[in-house]
Amino acid sequence: MKVHVDMSICLLHGQCVIAAPQVFSFNDEGGLVWPADCDEALRADVEAAADACPEQAIVIDG
Amino acid sequence: MRQGSHLWPQHNGVTTGKFARWWCDMLLCVEGDTHARLRRMANPAFSPKLIADLQPKFQALANRLIDGFIDKGQCDFIAEFTEPYATGVICDLLGLLFEKWRELADIAADMGLALGVTFKEDLPRIEAAVGKLFDYAEELAADREANPSEDFVGLLVKANCENPDQLSRQEMLDMIVLAIFGGIDTTRNQIGLAMDMFIQNPDQWALLGERPELAKAAVEEVMRTRPTTTWVTRAATEDFEFQGLAISEGTTLHLWGQAACTDPAAMENAETFDITAARKPHFGFGGGTHHCLGHFIARGDMTAALALLASRIKNPRFAGEVIWLPDSGNTGAVKMPIAFDRA
Repeated sequence: MKVHVDMSICLLHGQCVIAAPQVFSFNDEGGLVWPADCDEALRADVEAAADACPEQAIVIDG
Repeated sequence: MRQGSHLWPQHNGVTTGKFARWWCDMLLCVEGDTHARLRRMANPAFSPKLIADLQPKFQALANRLIDGFIDKGQCDFIAEFTEPYATGVICDLLGLLFEKWRELADIAADMGLALGVTFKEDLPRIEAAVGKLFDYAEELAADREANPSEDFVGLLVKANCENPDQLSRQEMLDMIVLAIFGGIDTTRNQIGLAMDMFIQNPDQWALLGERPELAKAAVEEVMRTRPTTTWVTRAATEDFEFQGLAISEGTTLHLWGQAACTDPAAMENAETFDITAARKPHFGFGGGTHHCLGHFIARGDMTAALALLASRIKNPRFAGEVIWLPDSGNTGAVKMPIAFDRA
């Protein structure tokens, strides 16, 4: 499953980090990091993150 | 920094009782792992997916209220529209009959006294209101426990039943009370503030009437220029310096979203109210980890209301003195007499 975050609309609220902490995190500079290719076992968490994102910036492909 | 409102009861000398217990334990006032756990459990009940189902109900409610005053050519926009609408939306969300709106609005208003400067004097009324609201929450939860459903309360009950270690029954009830308390006054005030902006900008109201698809953008432009939540509260967890200003640990900070989002130094035509302009994001729903949980619902119900109002009511204007809440972090009108022409 490919995970894409539209960084032109992401406001770094961090709701995805709360919803899917094994997928999304903040680096030391405060930037959002996530694997472009994500383990299928984490699909429910990624979907919850996409759903909860206030800016609806997360797109799941496949 | 951390969310700063948790200190409010304590600042007012209120450390015990139902309100203080709920306030300090609920989502807004907790941080870290507890906050993340509660937020994860609550998210499904506030999902944007639920809005599609609610949209026809929002429209039916708005039309019903407009029907009630349109022949008079005037109304008190707060008493006859924004208050019953905001409370009616919560009734729809909870699965309560619309006829319950008055009772629910009165309870929420009594509980809202806790956010005012007379908090301590009003404590007996506040405590009674909190008690009533928890009775409502208990009744709603018991109903969904007996009859599982996929609506708002049903999803919270499901979260508690499936993961009681992640969302206790008390935490679930606290969440229902937060949704009622957090949803009524904010929406009532924000739609009233929208009317205030449009009365000052009649060309924008006419434009919205012609192009109801602009209602979504209109909600954002209203919240940028005239938000009911004018600031968000944070507390400094350590000493730090911001642009030369030393802030010491424990300081309560009010971050002025309204000023930031209408700052001429930050954007062009910042003080112009234009529902067609591309704008930077506003902070009307706060931001970060405590970003408003109910924003999908609020955006959905306000969009439906503005689209219908602008299509049915033309040339709204003030028809008497508007009475405002005292200026604070939560602002709005308590009385707004308007006159208008029928479409």
